Amino acid sequence: MKLTVKPLKQKDAGRGLAAIDRAAMDEMDLENGDYIVLEGKQGNRAVARVWPGYPEDEAQGIVRIDGQLRQEAGVGIDDGVTVEKADVKPATNVTVALPQNLRVRGNVGPMIRNNLSGQAVTQGQTVPVSFGLGPLSSMSGQKIPLKIADTDPTGTVVVTDSTEIQVSEKPAEQIRGEEGAADRGSPDVTYEDIGGLDSELEQVREMIELPMRHPELFQQLGIEPPKGVLLHGPPGTGKTLMAKAVANEIDAYFTTISGPEIMSKYYGESEEQLREVFEEAEENSPAIVFIDEIDSIAPKRGETQGDVERRVVAQLLSLMDGLEERGQVIVIGATNRVDAIDPALRRGGRFDREIEIGVPDKEGRKEILQVHTRGMPLSEEIDLDSYAENTHGFVGADLASLTKESAMNALRRIRPELDLESEEIDAEVLEKLEISDDDVKDAMKGIEPSALREVFVEVPEVTWDSVGGLEDTKERLRETIQWPLEYGEVFESMDLDAAKGVLLYGPPGTGKTLLAKAVANEADSNFISVKGPELLNKFVGESEKGVREVFSKARENAPTVVFFDEIDSIATERGGGQTDSGVGERVVSQLLTELDGIEDMEDVVVVATTNRPDLIDSALLRPGRLDRHVHVPVPDEEARRAIFTVHTRDKPLADGVDLDSLARRTEGYVGADIEALCREASMAATREFINSVDPEDIGDSVGNVRVTMDHFEHALDEVGPSVTDETRERYAEIEKRFDTAEPDLEEEKVGRTFQ
Amino acid sequence: MSSEQQLFDETPLRRFEYDDSVVLAADVGALDDASVDVVDGTIIVVAGDEQYEQEVPEAADGRAFINNGVLTIELSDEEDSN
Repeated sequence: MKLTVKPLKQKDAGRGLAAIDRAAMDEMDLENGDYIVLEGKQGNRAVARVWPGYPEDEAQGIVRIDGQLRQEAGVGIDDGVTVEKADVKPATNVTVALPQNLRVRGNVGPMIRNNLSGQAVTQGQTVPVSFGLGPLSSMSGQKIPLKIADTDPTGTVVVTDSTEIQVSEKPAEQIRGEEGAADRGSPDVTYEDIGGLDSELEQVREMIELPMRHPELFQQLGIEPPKGVLLHGPPGTGKTLMAKAVANEIDAYFTTISGPEIMSKYYGESEEQLREVFEEAEENSPAIVFIDEIDSIAPKRGETQGDVERRVVAQLLSLMDGLEERGQVIVIGATNRVDAIDPALRRGGRFDREIEIGVPDKEGRKEILQVHTRGMPLSEEIDLDSYAENTHGFVGADLASLTKESAMNALRRIRPELDLESEEIDAEVLEKLEISDDDVKDAMKGIEPSALREVFVEVPEVTWDSVGGLEDTKERLRETIQWPLEYGEVFESMDLDAAKGVLLYGPPGTGKTLLAKAVANEADSNFISVKGPELLNKFVGESEKGVREVFSKARENAPTVVFFDEIDSIATERGGGQTDSGVGERVVSQLLTELDGIEDMEDVVVVATTNRPDLIDSALLRPGRLDRHVHVPVPDEEARRAIFTVHTRDKPLADGVDLDSLARRTEGYVGADIEALCREASMAATREFINSVDPEDIGDSVGNVRVTMDHFEHALDEVGPSVTDETRERYAEIEKRFDTAEPDLEEEKVGRTFQ
Repeated sequence: MSSEQQLFDETPLRRFEYDDSVVLAADVGALDDASVDVVDGTIIVVAGDEQYEQEVPEAADGRAFINNGVLTIELSDEEDSN
């Protein structure tokens, strides 16, 4: 029966399965697990096991197989393939050959059998087998190519639990079987190795695969087939991988140009090399010319310094859209700086389509994780879904390094058992290797999204519980920052836009920064912390650029919380005294446009703190920018009680300590004062203890030390309140002003030295 | 096809939701003389001397079979089916 080939889902790939839609299955009288033979146009055959068809394929005559089977059968996606029920004998004996560089001691037979179990193999076939990790984990694809040297009975057999696996004496390289896949310089990546880029892949295929396989379609329509595709996006999102996969799947000649390689010191030679690459491609057409990091050889001509670059760009332009017909040569360019490319390249006829490869979303990340963990021995407690959820802003390369780090952690665990001096590694040890959930968790700590590397901060371990009192404030922050992410659908159905920013203001020491830390930790988003003065730069324009970069990073890695501590340092009222060259004003303007500009701030929330809200530019405080103003007040008695609880939570307190009375007596103390008070009290207790006990006995008696009420009395004498009535009044006034309407700051001038 | 549960070590149990029925499938490798049975929402796979169990509450009245290492459990939405 003739069926159409489609790609398999990432998680089902690599097991020799073929998902056949149910209507076709009924027609052929097949059951799940039956063996089938797939026969391509050229008569290449592949054997697979039937897997339930995907519900969306119902009755469409679709068979889904992975890249390995497609290669064996010599078919591509959307090709027709003949499917027949096969009669396959179970193997009694299979001899495999290992690659020469693999040094394993002991009996690897059982491990190979487990890996191949249920798969159909033929003599001469190369099967990739995952050996867990170990010495070869650095090899591409993490799989070891095994060659089937001999089978008994001959022909296509299936490996079962009772099959004897023998390892051939001769290494795989010396065994000549009938070569399955033709080696034509095509890289070994299939569509199943790409996760989370389905729609982009579809676009690329439409642009490249279609014109190469069926040029007549375009002749019929009377249009020229597309000549080039430009892939752009942040580093590590899979641009190169996609180009490789496309080249592999359509079995085209694939050649790459890397910028520095074609540059030559002789006049005219750089251009000649470029011409040679295209000529070579034309001779081997259909061919794909892949130009990685195209911005390095095709920068804007007006802006380049050298004469050579200009000529290379001109050469590239004429090669891509010259007088001569290029035939079936398609150019794929990849760059992460799309705006640095000469505009003449970015038009139809040259790069006909520009496809953005973005940072993957949750589903995409899950698929990518599935791709990378396919060959890994994962323990069952690992929940890829939760990791996909917690890796905002991670690109494919970050996820790859996450899985690799996890594997390295697992390896580190068994390192002591390894005898590195021996030539070979025990097969039993290899079999024991397994990646546990803790390995992945540890790896998570060490890896941050690459796009955020520059501005990344370690998210502090502060939870809402560590914030004493401030219940109202916490609730409002939670509403503003956590709700839009957690209850997206509610916001959508209420047609409610998430707030863009929150301004926390209040006297020093009341816990504004602590709140921001808690937000960073609890919000489950990426967190960028901006220290105001850090943005300033001595060059004109650079300070504003800093602001721009912060926001563009935040957008790329959304959801993100951007935290400006002491925002008054960079966002002071404009139009004031001109002490600098106006940098301050330009930074404010930049901030204003970023917060409420034409570009959307999707899932980016700004949290700013200040103790001088009256100094901040009023335009920044209007709705749509920092639209929520949250006063972090001087704590009242109840709040002080809560703060005391937080700070004494892990301290050994004597029974007589009355936190309620302490809270009552600390009028005017802010959170920081209370923290200092608690610290002082414990310090007093510590001092007393160390001075009274013999140093040798410290270890034994340290458990008996208690912080008593006397110690607190002592501390109360030492630490005074930092807020005076005057300060409090002033903030109450400010709060009143913010709560009413538009802040009108002109009326009252508050001295700038005021803290 | 929305959820994925862990079955027998690292073999994921895949779920396919069709219009009229739900199919659970797993590739468990070619176990010799393996047989599968569903009893009170627990899938029991017996292979030689070993026995594996997996709880799938909704699979109380499904048809289960294992064929060349592909374990299939068919659940019907209709109550009257067995």
